[in-house]
Amino acid sequence: MIASSSPIVRLGIRAASPPAVMVGVYLLFAGHNQPGGGFAAGLVFGAVVALRTVAGLQRPSRAHELMAIGILIIASVALLPIIWGDALLDQHVVSVDIPLLGKIKTGSALPFDLGVTAVVVGLLLAVLDGLGAPELAEEPATLRPRSLR
Amino acid sequence: MSIALLVTVGGLTTVGLYLITARSLSRILLGFSILGHAAVIALLTAGGPPGNAPLADRDSASDIANPVPQALALTAIVISFGLTLFLLALARRQQALTGDDLVEDDLEDKRIAARLQTASTEATA
Amino acid sequence: MVLVLLGFHLAGVGMVLALGRRLGIRPLLALGGTAPAISAVWAVVQLIAGSSDRTSMVTWVGGLDLELRFKVDSLALLMTLLVSGIGALVFIYAIGYFNRDTTGGSRFSASLLGFSASMVGLVWADSVWTLFIFWELTSVTSFLLVGHKNQDPSVLAAARRALMITGAGGLILLAGLLVLAQQANTTIISELPAIGGTSGTIAAILVLVGAATKSAQVPFHVWLPGAMAAPTPVSAYLHSATMVKAGVLLLAVTGPAFANVEAFTTLGLAFGLTSMLWGAVGALRQGDAKLILAWGTISQLGLMVTLLALGTGKAVFAAISLLFAHALFKAALFLIVGEVDVRTGTRQIDQLGGLASSMPLSFAAAALAGLSMAGAPPLLGFTAKEAALESLATLDGVQQIVVSVGVGAGSVLTVAYTLRFVFGVFGPGPPTVVAPRRWLMTIPALTLASLGFVGYLVLGWVNDIVRPAAVELNAAADYSLLRWPGLTAPFGASLGILAVGTALGFGVIRRNVGTPEPKGARTADALLDGVLVAASRATGRIQHGSLPVYLTVMAATASLAALPFFTGLDTSGLVLANQPLEMVLAAAILVSATAGAFVGSRLGAALTLGAVGTGVSGLFVLYGAPDLALTQLLVETIVVVGFVIGLGHLAQQFPAASGGWRLTRLAVSVLGGLSVTAALAAAAANSVGQAPLADLKAGAVDEGGGNNIVNVILTDMRALDTLGEVVVLATVALGILALANVRPPEVPG
Repeated sequence: MIASSSPIVRLGIRAASPPAVMVGVYLLFAGHNQPGGGFAAGLVFGAVVALRTVAGLQRPSRAHELMAIGILIIASVALLPIIWGDALLDQHVVSVDIPLLGKIKTGSALPFDLGVTAVVVGLLLAVLDGLGAPELAEEPATLRPRSLR
Repeated sequence: MSIALLVTVGGLTTVGLYLITARSLSRILLGFSILGHAAVIALLTAGGPPGNAPLADRDSASDIANPVPQALALTAIVISFGLTLFLLALARRQQALTGDDLVEDDLEDKRIAARLQTASTEATA
Repeated sequence: MVLVLLGFHLAGVGMVLALGRRLGIRPLLALGGTAPAISAVWAVVQLIAGSSDRTSMVTWVGGLDLELRFKVDSLALLMTLLVSGIGALVFIYAIGYFNRDTTGGSRFSASLLGFSASMVGLVWADSVWTLFIFWELTSVTSFLLVGHKNQDPSVLAAARRALMITGAGGLILLAGLLVLAQQANTTIISELPAIGGTSGTIAAILVLVGAATKSAQVPFHVWLPGAMAAPTPVSAYLHSATMVKAGVLLLAVTGPAFANVEAFTTLGLAFGLTSMLWGAVGALRQGDAKLILAWGTISQLGLMVTLLALGTGKAVFAAISLLFAHALFKAALFLIVGEVDVRTGTRQIDQLGGLASSMPLSFAAAALAGLSMAGAPPLLGFTAKEAALESLATLDGVQQIVVSVGVGAGSVLTVAYTLRFVFGVFGPGPPTVVAPRRWLMTIPALTLASLGFVGYLVLGWVNDIVRPAAVELNAAADYSLLRWPGLTAPFGASLGILAVGTALGFGVIRRNVGTPEPKGARTADALLDGVLVAASRATGRIQHGSLPVYLTVMAATASLAALPFFTGLDTSGLVLANQPLEMVLAAAILVSATAGAFVGSRLGAALTLGAVGTGVSGLFVLYGAPDLALTQLLVETIVVVGFVIGLGHLAQQFPAASGGWRLTRLAVSVLGGLSVTAALAAAAANSVGQAPLADLKAGAVDEGGGNNIVNVILTDMRALDTLGEVVVLATVALGILALANVRPPEVPG
């Protein structure tokens, strides 16, 4: 179905991966001030992984770990404020000067979004794994007898 | 409120309901996805007239679109996305087990129904 | 303090259940009786010390007035004295009643104590919700106690009947309390103002019906005779002295609120007078001594309801006096019947004889309690009956005639069935073999019976207990029970009643000695069975296992629920489209979606879904929602790819569906679409105001530290929702991995 055996497609996907990841990172960091956000970034990363998987460039693994990390980050952002006496999920805003980018105003929303991203990527890895995407890439021949049934 | 959007919501609901009452899981999945679209557009219409993107540094408060329904809609999109993926996995499992993705009648429900029918005929007899 | 007392009760229940396997029934009953005994002593101390009102509360949801609120006022103290005092005596009595080796001791003891706790909670309750909770708890514990001998189908039927009738009454009461609290604008019982109007009438009727089910008023009385299947201690405690008084108590405390509602008086009199007469007639038709008492209870409760429905100061005072006197003599009589039953093996009056000489102490107790019940001097029942007759003198017109005739006839019949009971059980008859005396059974009965006489001797003390309770309900109820009323008209009437009743009573002592067919109970059971059969049939028909049908039924129901929106359609705020491009996108979306519904190929369907999603993203752009547009586009891409990957193994074409069913689905779907459109239009026409855009903007920048307001809402203002959303996604992922872990079934051979 997807021309996974075509070397041109493989090359294209391989070449497109780094810029796509850059776009995802941008969405993640810009999300608080520009359109974007953790969920969109996660979807972009997930799409990259999906394309690479069906092209046979990688296997979808470590879904559990990513989700665990994501939920851990979010839970920390949620619960840490309670420890220093603030409300649950209280937001902290910090301004930092970073060379090249200038003054960046960010806060605990960034790790929160990062956690969302990790969970979304984990979900998509799980979907790819669960729906058998790697087999789709590697053994297209096994499809035919089943679909004829 | 725009009639175009109202009709879109109504039409999508109709199609969505028609699809989720089908027997094929992949159709049900399509139906849920489409119902999700209907819900999101409904949320959007609830936000009032359209405006510019709700970015605080670009426009004055009077020109921007209402951001609250947008945030709700974003959550709705995400949940609908998760549900769609889950249904996809269900369809896949059904296919792996039976070779097709049809929703079968619930045997346990059928058994309960049969038992109650006999019980009630015995009680009246 | 009341919370501590309730705690004692609950701790007792816990201990009885915990020790249930180690101890026999008698130690368990002794343990169970401790809490009521403490509570009774506390009530006596309060009465002697001169009670002051105490309020205790545990707030649950403050804003909704949901709280456990207790208040011990004079009426509550009087009821506590009855509930806990008689409770403690009943526990002692039960030790004698049950044989040492009886099983089920912990269940019985725990249920009885649980009932005792529910009942004191009920009498202390000062919030309508608290009252309702304990009201229902008494129904449940009563069910457990009535059905104690759970091997016998007729006992179980009786228990079910009692639960269903009192339970249904509880629901009606809840509706009534809701209306009452809404109308009165308070949930605190002691602060209820007098209400009126249509809602006042509705509330009065509902509360009256609720009270009538609990207090066994005709036609809801059918559960009470059946409940006599319970062990006699239970009958004495629940079905004469306490639980059936809950309805009377309810009418007493809500009576002031309904003072201006005519329906309360009318319906209350109808319930009360009918029950008073029908109960007394029923008592004359029974041959089983316990059933005579049960029907007599219906009659006496009828008199109390009548008096409370009248609501005048004298009537309320008489009702409270009667409540007090009745609890003493009726509980005593039940305890005596139980002793007769245990020692002779029968309760049928035609099989008993010579008991006056073989059970002299019980006979003395029965004579005292019986005379009190008949309203003969020198006993407490006499003074209460005098007060009741006295209160009739202040009425006028038709009401006076009807109520006087009813109460007079009821009293005559009461005298008659009392005679029938005392002479039937203790009078001449076939000589009966009597087992040895059990002191633990005799003493409680004798105590309660002689209290009726002691109370007459120290009438001043009784007045000090009863008068404040009555005055709390009606400021005009500042009367006293009189030891000797003098030669007044009511006294004359009283003598006449005693004379006629005695003559009638001697005429019917040996008549109707069988147990008549319980027609009312049969009818009630048939009704209950009918409901159950109908429910089974409906379940069998509706729940037949097809998911598409379930979904269609749900969609149709939801659509029909939206029908009211069609009536109020307001088209004034509608425009064709806010931007011209909207029309194009809307058309594209609708065409793609429709194509998706009817296209036969799976790949085609996936592509139409992608087209719909893209169109929706376009709408988001038009409406100034770049975040949504971006996310929607990404989601749509991934869903389409997932659809292709995941369903690549399936046949390319969808299976065909049958034609007729498709039409039904189509009709329901169109109805659903129309309903949603109408609901949305109605919602748009009822805008609640302007969105606080400036506040949101300022909040996002100042507190959230971000310019993208939508993102700040998601990560800060509504971060908890987002947290939940992430958990949903993670759950979905785990579900998918679990679902994927499956192999096709092995084909044998």
